[in-house]
Amino acid sequence: MIDTTTELAAITADKVIDARGAACPGPLLEAKKGMGSVPMGAVIEVWSSDPVTKTDIGAWSAKVGHEFLGVIAADGYDRVFVRRGK
Amino acid sequence: MADNEKLVFMVLHGPNHPEHATIPFVMACAALASDVEVVIGVQADGVCLAHKGEADAVQAPGFPPLAKLMGDFRDLGGRLLVCGPCINSRGISAPDDLIEGAEVVAAGRFVAEIASATNSLVY
Repeated sequence: MIDTTTELAAITADKVIDARGAACPGPLLEAKKGMGSVPMGAVIEVWSSDPVTKTDIGAWSAKVGHEFLGVIAADGYDRVFVRRGK
Repeated sequence: MADNEKLVFMVLHGPNHPEHATIPFVMACAALASDVEVVIGVQADGVCLAHKGEADAVQAPGFPPLAKLMGDFRDLGGRLLVCGPCINSRGISAPDDLIEGAEVVAAGRFVAEIASATNSLVY
């Protein structure tokens, strides 16, 4: 996990997934789908207005072997960063 | 599936109990997205979820529509097993009255699925 918001904000994601407005498990399923469309080592950024998404995607990343990079709070939603690990 | 993990969700509630009907599909989709094999078994009023059209208008507050979740469940590779005696007693005919992908089984198959699972949950 990246420690600072500044470092996280410097990342340009390979794919941005706008899951704002989707209820659980929508953002997770969108992350799963998005991850399948990027190569190993690529970073996806999931936008979610559901406050539990950041912990949900963190747990999912650890379970399936991706690297959870962290979260930036935006205006009414979270930007969740994950690097594809497998 | 990674690590050969498998979950079985037994669903005993139908459209009259939107949360009890919806949450197992939420859990199942999350499990499938996490590379866990999933079987959902519907029994008692739960079989109504596999009856064409009955789940279409179900939406528990705070969750996606049940029909959307059931579609996601199928697309992600989940298996839906339906209790044969339970559909017979409700006048539901197989396969014509059942949704795509539903498989009618009896107690022995449910037991085999549960006995081979990492864990089972009942809703």
